[in-house]
Amino acid sequence: MRVGLFVTCLVDLLRPRIGFAALRLLEAAGADVVVPRTQTCCGQPGYNSGDKQAARALAHKLLDEFQDCDYLVAPSGSCAAMIRVHYPTLFADTDDAAAMSRLAARTYELTDFLVTIAGLQTVPGTFAGRITYHDSCSGLRELGVRKQPRTLIAKLPHVDLQEMHEAQTCCGFGGTFAVKYGDISARMAENKCAQITATGADAVVAGDLGCLLNIEGRLRREGSQKTRVLHIAELLAGETPEST
Amino acid sequence: MNSRETILARVRRARTSSDAVIATRLREHPRGPLPNMSEDLLTRFRERAARLASDVQGPLSAEQVPTAVANYLRERSLPVRAVRWPSIGSFEWGTVGMSVEARAARADDMVGITGAFCAIAETGTLMLLSGADTPAATSLLPETHVALVPISRIVARMEDGWDLLRMEHGLPPRAVNFVSGPSRTADIEQTVTLGAHGPYRVCIVLVADAVTGIARPVVG
Amino acid sequence: MKLSSAQFKHTARKNLHDVRLQQALHRLQERFVGARAAALTDIDDLPRLRAAATEIRQHALTHLDVYLEQFERQVVASGGQVHWARDAAEVNRILLELAARYQVRKVAKSKSMVSEECGINEMLAANGIEVIETDLGEYILQLAREPPSHIVAPVVHKNKEDIADLFVRHHHRPRTTEIAELCREAREMLRPHFLSADMGISGANFLVAETGSALIVTNEGNGRLVTTLPRVHVAITGIEKVVPTLEDVSVLLRLLTRSATGQSITNYVSVLTGHKRASDLDGPEHFHVILVDNGRSQLLGTELEAMLRCIRCGACMNHCPVYQNIGGHAYGWVYPGPMGSVLTPNLVGLSEARDLPNASTFCGACAEVCPVSIPLPDLLRHLRVRQLEQGLRPRRERGSLRVWAWFAQHPRAYAWASRLAARLLRAVANRRGMIRRLPLAGGWTDGRDFPAPSGRTFRDLYARRTSS
Repeated sequence: MRVGLFVTCLVDLLRPRIGFAALRLLEAAGADVVVPRTQTCCGQPGYNSGDKQAARALAHKLLDEFQDCDYLVAPSGSCAAMIRVHYPTLFADTDDAAAMSRLAARTYELTDFLVTIAGLQTVPGTFAGRITYHDSCSGLRELGVRKQPRTLIAKLPHVDLQEMHEAQTCCGFGGTFAVKYGDISARMAENKCAQITATGADAVVAGDLGCLLNIEGRLRREGSQKTRVLHIAELLAGETPEST
Repeated sequence: MNSRETILARVRRARTSSDAVIATRLREHPRGPLPNMSEDLLTRFRERAARLASDVQGPLSAEQVPTAVANYLRERSLPVRAVRWPSIGSFEWGTVGMSVEARAARADDMVGITGAFCAIAETGTLMLLSGADTPAATSLLPETHVALVPISRIVARMEDGWDLLRMEHGLPPRAVNFVSGPSRTADIEQTVTLGAHGPYRVCIVLVADAVTGIARPVVG
Repeated sequence: MKLSSAQFKHTARKNLHDVRLQQALHRLQERFVGARAAALTDIDDLPRLRAAATEIRQHALTHLDVYLEQFERQVVASGGQVHWARDAAEVNRILLELAARYQVRKVAKSKSMVSEECGINEMLAANGIEVIETDLGEYILQLAREPPSHIVAPVVHKNKEDIADLFVRHHHRPRTTEIAELCREAREMLRPHFLSADMGISGANFLVAETGSALIVTNEGNGRLVTTLPRVHVAITGIEKVVPTLEDVSVLLRLLTRSATGQSITNYVSVLTGHKRASDLDGPEHFHVILVDNGRSQLLGTELEAMLRCIRCGACMNHCPVYQNIGGHAYGWVYPGPMGSVLTPNLVGLSEARDLPNASTFCGACAEVCPVSIPLPDLLRHLRVRQLEQGLRPRRERGSLRVWAWFAQHPRAYAWASRLAARLLRAVANRRGMIRRLPLAGGWTDGRDFPAPSGRTFRDLYARRTSS
């Protein structure tokens, strides 16, 4: 099973550890993982800013890079949804429609892949303590990622998952929204952080780095240093800040 | 080109309508997915009407109706003068001390007594048709609305009400009003308050017998 | 209604810091979101019902011309008259003609968002005709001279103390903050107007082509009063509101009321067909329907057509985390929230409401709850495409987009630039690894830190790992 890891531009730049965690999990699931070196971005920033042309160009590039993979896996619901849901729309009624649909069909968000396709039985992580899980919007609503991360979290024997209120409410990230409408975005992050803090969790976990940056940035600005902010891959793989 | 033609031209530019498809849809008026109801109609109706804050009485025999209505009003210190649909006949209101006039409702009427075309178990709703002797305002202007409903006229869903309407009347009258409990508003702080512009209370008296005039206007 | 969508950011910021508004919005969210969820548990097969509702609305739009003509024929057959209005000005002209024809001095209105689009209250008042809003929320707004901030709960932004103050000023009665007392007071003030109005104006939730009926859904009973007591009833509604049959209405109602207020059905559903019959004891003598286009027909056959399926339940705004935090007035026109962010730019012009399509995280909560499956984020995204095509985005934004797109398509340059960025960002971080201020990204750092990168990109670390 040849799996192409799409690292995502945010992970590449801001938290490489998540990429290595994803790699470790995929290998633990028995995958033969390849990481195409020329990969950059799925095109979502352009797509959501109204620039379909740039999005299409990047979709073509990504299609070439992952052409020979059985699966494409990304540690992000948002990027995976871009490929899985929006590429076919972008290329509807064009010559590339079929190729894009085939790419879409073999694209998965990381936890979805580990549970649905790979049937991963044990996870290497060793975290101990209480966590709470934030459902990132794209993964949740566009890909149906809800049970998958929880199934995997349940495999960590020393983790106590305490659900927060409104776990499915947007944290306010929204890509460029967080900068263009900073005060609305920050208020949404503030609301989210209040729910996180109310659970008394040692760590908040989510499947998208964008949400994590937003949540961590807000928690730290509020002066809260205690709650750790982890990507689901880091938690499951044991690639947390202390372990590296 | 007048506005009608302009708008229709704009709409048509984007349409390719098939008259045949539409004629079929209008003729067959197919039903959508219908809610399942496990209970019998009477139980469902009573339960749902009560949930909507209607006061449900009965089923009673026809001769028990005036007493039940008078008691309902007296228990709540409400006046026993009422206006009723002219269609409703054969009740001995006088013997229970009530004064009931058959005419259109006026602004100062405190109690309005109506029948109902039918009642809908799905939601606990009354279906009222306006007509020569079933005026619409009787269920609207007074603070108390008393509706006499034969249990034989409880149907399962709104769709059954439409079928009954087509069968018994053909075309709809000026107003078909579905009434589901006392008027209410939640405009202030989303707090539900009963009695907005219509009745403060709705008393539904279920009647076991067939009584002329309470369920539908007498044909003629 | 006066358009102020251009002040979106300003109003939103102000509203974020309005403590009372925040309390009101929180209450709205608590009540409506919970009520909807509870009410929908009553539906056996929600996806199926939703698909049926979507099909009905889409079918009606697909055959809109024929259904509108069918509707018109049926109205005429029942003694009514249909008027077609291209825009707000024409709605007002028609209304004024009707008012003159029937010597109308006073109008009682039930809630109609289309009438807000057209500004009919101001126009009628300017022509010496008294207009009374009779929906409690709209009445309060009329006294306060404010626009609605929600399509179902128009006065959600006010609390009972605000309303008590307003009533004292206008009613000259002792002040009360008991909600039931406030409601009774409004009832007593408004009842004489129902009785003395010459014309009743309502909206219509649906128009039924089969029967030529206008259907209105209300709780307070004011909708029934304005369509029963005055001599003339005029229903004003959008051309897209037509549905084929009474059965179709039943399907839509099951979802409309549950989605809007969490009710299994509203108190009153009135199906109004024609004027008072010869032998009727009550009802209006004249029945008119004004079918309003006002920009709707230009959505047909475009990527935005699905927006016309909307049944105005308000669930999208109740569930929108942006609306929940900034309230309806920030959107600057009749329709707030996600549905407003799609409709407003289309009805008033894309350049008049530049923020609306962009002020969304695309979280998708709106589309998830929409009873007629309108893909609202997709429609907003489409408006962003149009904005970019028409040069309506700021120069700096277009510039950054071009720079980003170039780098993303050139992997070697991208690797170099991201390596540099990772180091630079690391260098400006504090000892806890947080960046407190970022040039060009003040929107982020005004309210949050930015977690700094570790200093090396994944691609560099991975290359080192695989080569060793």
